[in-house]
Amino acid sequence: MVTTVSRSHATAPDTAPRRRRRWRNSFTAYLLIAPAVGYLVVLLLFPLFRGIQLSLTDTKLVNPAGGDFVGAENYTNLMSSGQFWNSLLATLIYTAATVVFAVLLGTAAAVFINRPFRGRAGIRAVMTFPYAMPTVAVALVYVWIYNQSGGVLNNSLGVLGIGQTGWLTDPQWGMFSVVLATVWKVFPFVMLVMLAALQSVPEELYEAAKIDGAGPMSTFRAIVLPHLAPTLRIVALLMTIWSIRRFEIIYLLTGGGPVERTNTLVINIYRRAFSDQDLGVAATIGVLGLVLSILVTLVFFGVERRESRKEAAA
Amino acid sequence: MMARIVGRAFSFTSLAVLVVFAAFPIYWMINTALSTDSELYRTGQSWWPTVGRIADIPSVLSDVPILRWLGNSAVIAFGTTLLSLALAVLAAYALSRFKFYGKGVSAFFLFATQMLPEALLVVPLFALFSTLGLLNELHGLVLANVAFTMPVAVFILKNAIDAIPFKIEESARVDGCPRWGQLTMIVLPLIVPSIAAAAVINFFDGWNEFLFANTFIADSEKWPASVGLASFVGQYSTPLSSVMTAAFLFTLPAIVFFLIVQRQIVSGLTAGAVKG
Repeated sequence: MVTTVSRSHATAPDTAPRRRRRWRNSFTAYLLIAPAVGYLVVLLLFPLFRGIQLSLTDTKLVNPAGGDFVGAENYTNLMSSGQFWNSLLATLIYTAATVVFAVLLGTAAAVFINRPFRGRAGIRAVMTFPYAMPTVAVALVYVWIYNQSGGVLNNSLGVLGIGQTGWLTDPQWGMFSVVLATVWKVFPFVMLVMLAALQSVPEELYEAAKIDGAGPMSTFRAIVLPHLAPTLRIVALLMTIWSIRRFEIIYLLTGGGPVERTNTLVINIYRRAFSDQDLGVAATIGVLGLVLSILVTLVFFGVERRESRKEAAA
Repeated sequence: MMARIVGRAFSFTSLAVLVVFAAFPIYWMINTALSTDSELYRTGQSWWPTVGRIADIPSVLSDVPILRWLGNSAVIAFGTTLLSLALAVLAAYALSRFKFYGKGVSAFFLFATQMLPEALLVVPLFALFSTLGLLNELHGLVLANVAFTMPVAVFILKNAIDAIPFKIEESARVDGCPRWGQLTMIVLPLIVPSIAAAAVINFFDGWNEFLFANTFIADSEKWPASVGLASFVGQYSTPLSSVMTAAFLFTLPAIVFFLIVQRQIVSGLTAGAVKG
């Protein structure tokens, strides 16, 4: 609540001109931050409340301003709809698989690239390309790689005598293919963050481990891993929230198919809104998806608090 | 000694596998761009690109209106960057240099918005934009994008301003330099690298954005490249090599700029996530 520009003035006697300046300073601060906050209120907060409100109506796409209040009907309908639970399950499978594989692969890549060697900068740059590539381009390339006849994946497996697989059309493989393309796209993010964390491990710890005769595996387990743990937890949280939110790559690769296997909540929202033209139901799924994100975040902060207490006690 | 050689061989092999995994789809995009449809669908795609076909690239421009789409993407990305940075510079300065009632709440609000799924907001935003007549307009798209890019820029710029010693502004103030002058003549010149990094990140968020563009822009003349290229997914009447060439032209600037500001992007991404 202390309003002052200069820290050295914070304890200065509270005279009238000082008070006036202080007021003027906080006025300036409000003036500076108001455009940004106001912008987000209009373009995020207001639509968010409008979304919650829409979820209580039967609004249709053809008349977005109309629609009658139906109470919790959309919610109760969804709760008893197999399609919704299937969509939730698809979200959980997609999220769990993407987070686990992206974190494992990204961390492994960071460990391998952490040690200095010739050409390291170039190799690191190549490994970040997927992250920089626009998702639409990623989808176009993967659709072609996965193509049933002529795609390089089936062509190569064909040489080994394995028959053609419909990577994006076979219900058994749809989710796998979408997860693989996603992991390819996002693992460089994990790699970059974990690389920064690895480089913050103090050199003395490695030397101490060497003197104690620890091998590379036990050094990693006993020294590096505990040091990485807080960063790993945050990266896993970010990855989880982003996976729940992710739209583009799933939409472009499978559009929610085959047989709704990859119909995550976010894809479901879009299909309900713009194919079924049912804005009320779409908004309801959106609200439930947001609740899921918030739950994940709360669980994360619970774990975080327990872990930091444990670290403080140790 | 033996264990060490095995260990080295293991990390070398793993690294090689990872590099191939990361680079292959990009290589394949280029290789496909330099193939003909009869190779792709009949005789089988070669593992090596026919480099001589680079000369045929201009003919792609007649198959795919990629230049117009890239132009639209650039307009959207520039607009997004300018508006986003204008708002973010002021907000970051306030959050870094002032103490005021509600500061914690404002900061929390700015960053909590990043959790909202675009797909949830696209429905009410569609309704809002249709009443305001902003559908099918590039500037409407800019308005929607900035809501997601601006908080990122605030985060990067606030960290940058925090790192400047306050003493410089203090002495300017004593010399009678007004607030506005302190911001424009002292703070901004010192954070140019971070502004550049934030600009590049915001630019490519606008450049790559698909969901809002796909929903709001119906007119194919106004499509950005993301929506235009997406219209070729699962569509085989346009030669695939042309589509891949267009996709490559869309990808190239994103990768080049990412490499140029990689250091800033990485420190921006990791500032919050890495402790210790």
